[in-house]
Amino acid sequence: MLKYSFKRVLWVFPTLIGVLLLLFSLTYFLPGDPASAILGPRATPELIEELNARLHLDRSMPVRLGYYLKGIALGDLGTSVWSGHSVSSLMAEALGHTAILAVTTLAVAAAIGIILGAFGAIRQDTPISGIVTIASLMGVALPDFVAALLLMLVFCVKIPILPAIGAGEGFWDIIVHLILPATALGIGWVGYLARLTHESMVDVLEADYIRTARAFAIPQKSIAYVYALKNAIIPTITVLGLGVGKLLGGAVFVEIIFSRPGLGKLIVDAVYARDFPVLQGGILVATILFVLANLVADISYGFVNPQIQYD
Amino acid sequence: MDTTSTDIIQKKRSLTPGWTQNFTIIFKSIAKKKGGLIGSIFIAIMLLCAIAAPWLAPFDPNEQNIVQRFAGPELTHLFGTDYLGRDTLSRIIYGCRIAVLVAFGAVSLSSIFGVFLGVVAGYNEGKKFDYFIIWLFDIVRSFPQIILALAIVAVLGPSLVNVVIALAFTAFPFYGRIARAQTLFVKETDYVKAAQAMGQKPIKIILKHITPNIMAPVIVCLGMDMATMVIWESGLSFLGLGVRPPTASWGIMLRNGYKYIQVSPWTIVWPALAIAFSMIAFSLFSDGLRVALDPKERNR
Repeated sequence: MLKYSFKRVLWVFPTLIGVLLLLFSLTYFLPGDPASAILGPRATPELIEELNARLHLDRSMPVRLGYYLKGIALGDLGTSVWSGHSVSSLMAEALGHTAILAVTTLAVAAAIGIILGAFGAIRQDTPISGIVTIASLMGVALPDFVAALLLMLVFCVKIPILPAIGAGEGFWDIIVHLILPATALGIGWVGYLARLTHESMVDVLEADYIRTARAFAIPQKSIAYVYALKNAIIPTITVLGLGVGKLLGGAVFVEIIFSRPGLGKLIVDAVYARDFPVLQGGILVATILFVLANLVADISYGFVNPQIQYD
Repeated sequence: MDTTSTDIIQKKRSLTPGWTQNFTIIFKSIAKKKGGLIGSIFIAIMLLCAIAAPWLAPFDPNEQNIVQRFAGPELTHLFGTDYLGRDTLSRIIYGCRIAVLVAFGAVSLSSIFGVFLGVVAGYNEGKKFDYFIIWLFDIVRSFPQIILALAIVAVLGPSLVNVVIALAFTAFPFYGRIARAQTLFVKETDYVKAAQAMGQKPIKIILKHITPNIMAPVIVCLGMDMATMVIWESGLSFLGLGVRPPTASWGIMLRNGYKYIQVSPWTIVWPALAIAFSMIAFSLFSDGLRVALDPKERNR
């Protein structure tokens, strides 16, 4: 297990180097002349030359790659060609908003999904399995940006009770501004996690050790919620790792729709403005987050379920 | 002697079920389940709309009629009109074309590319080439998919073809990994060993003996991926980074609806419904397909 974890961690480094190479080549091939796009049609050749020199755009490809990698190694992601702010400070600001949204969504969706799934599996006679089916169907049918648009239509336009734009300031305001974006992102996850937990819970409840626990007259409730649930949520844990990537992708749309100043909005605005240091930096940060989440999920999977053997 | 041996081969060939027969068996078993049947019908409707759009649509999708802008559902315009007075129903029907084109285009491109690389890598297990391909797969898989697609479209410029290329690029490692894992298993089978012993060329073994036998999980993945591709095409078009207006795409319709959300709710509701129906269709169909391709589950 330790050997596997070690190998898995080591493998991250060559992957990240490849990620950097791919990101560099993407922006290397970005069409158009960035300098003239930034400075506008009335830029003098001297100004263009100066900006090109500042961004190292006049150098050869290997030299530019060298500058790029050096910057990353020093933790310097460059400066935005539009606002002049450093990309790192823009990221730090945006990341907070995205992190609040992603963590709240995932935590609330996981809590509701696991409770619904477990309860539905234990008490088959309740209408909960119906709710789970409807929730997972909605998760399949409504991609996050469609859900976001419909929620906005209902709760901001038709019955204007919730704020439509921004991230809010102050504790309660932030919570109120989170409701719609988090619902749009999380509604599919509730259904998906509930179905997943339900299926594995049904399997686990038929296991021998549960029968043994019953024979020992351990209370039904503690069998279900302590003995069974512990094993039944294992599949859910791995899915959460992938979930971070999906959430970061979904956040792009939800942040645009609800005008939340997060990472996704930063990336899309950078695409519109051809602000390539911000684009590069934003994608890099999102990718590193995703890689780390998958790493944690992969390794923790082995620790929570010792039955799994890696070679 | 020559004639008799070819005769036997001919006879054997006719005994093994052909593509059409396989197709019928699989389709029958999809349609046996209620979900699979509904999914198939929805997809058939989508395909019909895509192919026969000019005959089915009551209006030209780009015909503007400013006087009648933002009309609600009524007899002439069943789904209402948008901000330029274009008929929403016609645009939804034409939007099927883009959805179907992107779904099939991106999925076939990425699966062909991914499966080929995966099989070749798996066949050369443990060699440098294998590690290189795994590395390549892992690099692409490190990116959140839609963000990578966004970056590629930003580089290539928004257009239908570029959206297909970008989406295919983000998805190919997933097919590659499935294909590689299956190949590791299939290449140890007796018939592959026999082909190797007969001195067949590796490329022939890969194409003729391995690839057909690893396709079942790949095909299941194809069905689910089509839904994802439809979502992402709409998503990219919604951001203005996909298909170019005035082409009728569900994503562009949502984009316009979002701009005029205060004025007319209908311009958002119809494309949202179209996306929802196609999502349900693809997911029911691929569920049916998964069961149909699994002989153990099929006969339950």
